[in-house]
Amino acid sequence: MLIALPILILFPVAIALALMDGRRKPAGIIAIAALAFATAALGVLMAKVAIDGPQEVVAGGWSPDVGIRLRVDALGAIFALTTAAVLLASMAQAVAAGCASRTTPTLTVFMALGLTGLFLTGDVFSFYVFFELAMISAYGLTAGEGLAGGRFRAGFIFAVVNLIGSFLFLIAIGALYRATGTLEMIEVARRAAEINPNTAILLAVTFFVAFGVKLGLFPFHAWLPSVYLGVQPHIAAMFAGALANIGAYGLLRFGGVILPRELELGATAIIVLGGVSIVYGAIQAISRRETREVLAYSAIGHAGYVLVALGLGGPVGLTAAVVFSVANALNKTLLFLTSELRGKFMATAFLIGALSVAGVPPSAGFFGKASLFEAGIDAESIAALVLLFVGGALTFVYLFQIYQHDRWRPRAEGEYDRDNLITAGRPAQRTVGVIVALVVLVLGLWPQPLLAVADQAAAQIEQEAPR
Amino acid sequence: MTTSALTRMISRSLLAPTLIVALAILVKGYASVGDGFSAGVVAALGILLQMLAFGRDQVTADLPIHRAPLVAMTGLFIGFAVLAVPVLTGGAPLEHWPPPDEKPIYLGTVELITAVVFDIGVFLLVLGSCVKVIDALAGAAAEDDA
Amino acid sequence: MNLLYAIVIGTLFGSGVLLMLKGDLFRVVAGIVLVSNAANLTLMASGLTRGQAPILPLDPGEPVADPLVQAMTLTALVIGFAVTAVLLALSLGVYRSGRSVDLDDLSEQETEEALEREATDIPPDEAVL
Repeated sequence: MLIALPILILFPVAIALALMDGRRKPAGIIAIAALAFATAALGVLMAKVAIDGPQEVVAGGWSPDVGIRLRVDALGAIFALTTAAVLLASMAQAVAAGCASRTTPTLTVFMALGLTGLFLTGDVFSFYVFFELAMISAYGLTAGEGLAGGRFRAGFIFAVVNLIGSFLFLIAIGALYRATGTLEMIEVARRAAEINPNTAILLAVTFFVAFGVKLGLFPFHAWLPSVYLGVQPHIAAMFAGALANIGAYGLLRFGGVILPRELELGATAIIVLGGVSIVYGAIQAISRRETREVLAYSAIGHAGYVLVALGLGGPVGLTAAVVFSVANALNKTLLFLTSELRGKFMATAFLIGALSVAGVPPSAGFFGKASLFEAGIDAESIAALVLLFVGGALTFVYLFQIYQHDRWRPRAEGEYDRDNLITAGRPAQRTVGVIVALVVLVLGLWPQPLLAVADQAAAQIEQEAPR
Repeated sequence: MTTSALTRMISRSLLAPTLIVALAILVKGYASVGDGFSAGVVAALGILLQMLAFGRDQVTADLPIHRAPLVAMTGLFIGFAVLAVPVLTGGAPLEHWPPPDEKPIYLGTVELITAVVFDIGVFLLVLGSCVKVIDALAGAAAEDDA
Repeated sequence: MNLLYAIVIGTLFGSGVLLMLKGDLFRVVAGIVLVSNAANLTLMASGLTRGQAPILPLDPGEPVADPLVQAMTLTALVIGFAVTAVLLALSLGVYRSGRSVDLDDLSEQETEEALEREATDIPPDEAVL
């Protein structure tokens, strides 16, 4: 019953927290404890999947061909673990900074529940249900913990744009069900090979748009900067580190496993869109001053890398997409959590995050970038290699720019800090920052587990995909 | 906003029947049309009618509206219990009781099965959250009028 | 039947998108509701089969209607309801903070606020020098 355990931990806690005032310490501590237990359970589950292969349980004890399955393979497990860890760190930071809203703990735990369920389900429709649970919690978080000014407007636009994405996804699920006659992911993948090619292309494009919106890819990115700028840094960390994983996972699951031929067919378009995302994100980031705005555009750029990896395809490309997504989620969390904190330790932690994003060893980001280069070499795509190199160089430029702008100058009296966020931070906040930085470093020094799991995930995708 | 005495009288006398119809829909769901969700919506509509006829202040004074979140979360928790209890006893999540081929316990014509418990949870959840939404929107409207 | 569904879904989706393009918060919410219902109908349409009700005991030899899409649509409807409530709450928040439901007015207000803020702040680079 290990697979159901994270859900069984998070669900009752989320219910109980909904009735408590989240601004008080106990609520925050219960939320942290629940997220910590869930993360630990997912860690054990991850180990079990790595050793014994995919785990599954059928809800209600039904026979497997009728019941709804909870199913986890290496791909789902690594994303679930990363997401839970990111939410744990962000929640800890939120509590350390003093929660500003009574709904933050419960919404965070509900979001964790939705995301965990989404990564652990083997059923297309329950994927949608969990996905909406996570998204609705996110809409609530923007309203509760937004900053002054246009926070509601940013939240409203965020909700509207993402809802259009969600409904497109729902329509695509209906169409997929019509085309294959089942909702069970493995069975869908098996039957997807026989779908009429025209239908399959339409389906693939709809799924691509739906997940592109979540990921904040170039043509669908408009909502992203204003939202990341309009919320507290720890909420932005949740969005960039946890919520954006839906997009990457969805593209891998629905593109890589269910519609791989369409993915191959659209590879050029996908790489071009990814490239445009990378360049656009980087150029916009260079032209911005405010740290969180730079990071928001950097998130758009880094969504592009996942897409390029997916477009390059093959086992190496898929491995790269997984490794890069995980490393990127951790990097973004670290950067957002430390972006407004000052002091020696926080400067170092931010620097570690920045170097990791740029891909300097020893950091988690190095292996993300390295696996991308490997995928580029494997696909013999000079264009992709040039793109990765240029993207990396631009990343260096804007991160160095904000680092020296924020931390190498004495701050003038009354300087531009419109939300009064920049502080030395409380000791607990600094501890969280240091711990996340250490995780990024440790993953950089000892990346074997991550690489092994990513290899396993890629192999699993190849095996399940219809050929 | 004022309503006529007739409207108020009719809506007052409609509250109890609405709730009874809601309960009927809930328990009949296993033999005929109905389920916890529609029952919850019907009951919430009963409350909405009171709000429209008497205004929010009056209804909040008469009925325990402020308990709505508690009701909703109790319902959600019942749903969770149906999910979790079978796991604790070694089964699959959401496993049905009684198992196939076993006779359920009858309470009149109502079968006592897990699905009924789950639907009561759904009923409470829907009732609680609908009332809370209605209350929040009514409260916002009242504040804007003031 | 398929044609009818297609026309209805198309009309709903189209009207929804049209409403969303208006610069008014509540029209946008109404547009989202229409699009959500277009999506729900699409789900229904994906399982349009004729047959007996899928309740045991079944008559042998006769086709059975697909119950799965109904269950999915019901779930999607509930999610749509929750989403509408959240959106209404958000738009109320926007209205309260800006005292307007017109998106153009709101963004103008925001720009003005931003300009005011910049005027009162010392520009960062000059502050160093």
